[in-house]
Amino acid sequence: MIRIAFAGKGGAGKSSISGSFARLLSRRGGPVLAVDSDPLPGMAYSLGIAVDDHPTPDNVVVEGPEGGPKWVLRPGLDAAGFIDTYASTGPDDVRYLQFGNTWGHFQTLQRGQHAWSQVVREMDPAAWNVVGDLPGGTRQAMFGWAKYADVLAVVTEPTPKSLHVARRLLNITKAEWAPSQVVVVANRVDEDEDIERISNALDRPVIGSVPNDPAVVEADKLALSPLDHRPGPFVEAIEQLVGVVESTYDMDDQRATKGKP
Amino acid sequence: MSAEQLLSSVPESDTVIVADLEAGIGTLTRLPEASVDSTLVIVEPTPRSIDVGQRAVLVATERKQGHITIVANKVATHEDEERIRTAFGEHPVVTVPLDPVVVAADRQGASPVDVDPNALAISAIGGLVPVLIETTDT
Repeated sequence: MIRIAFAGKGGAGKSSISGSFARLLSRRGGPVLAVDSDPLPGMAYSLGIAVDDHPTPDNVVVEGPEGGPKWVLRPGLDAAGFIDTYASTGPDDVRYLQFGNTWGHFQTLQRGQHAWSQVVREMDPAAWNVVGDLPGGTRQAMFGWAKYADVLAVVTEPTPKSLHVARRLLNITKAEWAPSQVVVVANRVDEDEDIERISNALDRPVIGSVPNDPAVVEADKLALSPLDHRPGPFVEAIEQLVGVVESTYDMDDQRATKGKP
Repeated sequence: MSAEQLLSSVPESDTVIVADLEAGIGTLTRLPEASVDSTLVIVEPTPRSIDVGQRAVLVATERKQGHITIVANKVATHEDEERIRTAFGEHPVVTVPLDPVVVAADRQGASPVDVDPNALAISAIGGLVPVLIETTDT
């Protein structure tokens, strides 16, 4: 099973890539759970799923034990049951676990968001391929929100600003809990020099190179998944990326050895 | 020091402060009420960007973050502009066209002003100045 999370500068293309990746991975046959920890809508669009601001009812949780988390899943509801009941089902049978999108009132989503975190932490790693989308910037990644992943894919454009954020994200490798593999995906690449520039700047393997594709801009404007609007070079590149990740970064063996959930 | 701490602690003076907040609405939700005179909400002509922009407008309004102006960015067609104007109704909209100069500057790590001060996008951003003066000079 694959467990991958995408991070990068805001606007680098994480949501378009992660949503398309999840659907193409699912087409290969394995069960795919897309997990979106961004409190603003993004991944839903690229999956082709309706945006839902409050995807789980507050009664999925009860108050947690003293000294523990504020809210925990209610008795009788475990991670598998939660996913079964509350994850949306999208095109290509991808299941989608939404964090809940805020209009500024974080407290109104707090219960559902605690549930989301517990489910992502406790879900059976043998049951799902997991594809995650983190908000733009470094905050969530550095606070350990991608712990569920074996692979952290840092998405970067070949611009100094985007590379600057990517370089900061790569510092995550110093953390004890960091995903065991931290790799780079180059987005909006026009020429070979772009990949070279990224590779040199980050000193990390660039495992995917996604070209500039006007169809993605059109899909964005139409609120469609890139897979549902003139699939072309972008989709081909994500297909290749899925192949690379499947063949190189299926970490089941290592996870079993380390006992990492 | 966080952006919100910085903005709420700067003493009032004749100095103009221009702050670039992180993507999304996180900083806006944490910024103390009435910390700024004016909020510029940058929006691209895509449903996703408009959705986030509308959330930003709501938070900025609730938290009394001054006059709100919408900056319609990367506008390529009349339809793009109309879509944003329709989505933000009563708020003033300043349109910045999709401009290859900005893309080139980004790739070079340079300011677009230094790459071509006469670029279309730069002239359009200049159009923000009278709007800001009109809405904040009380």
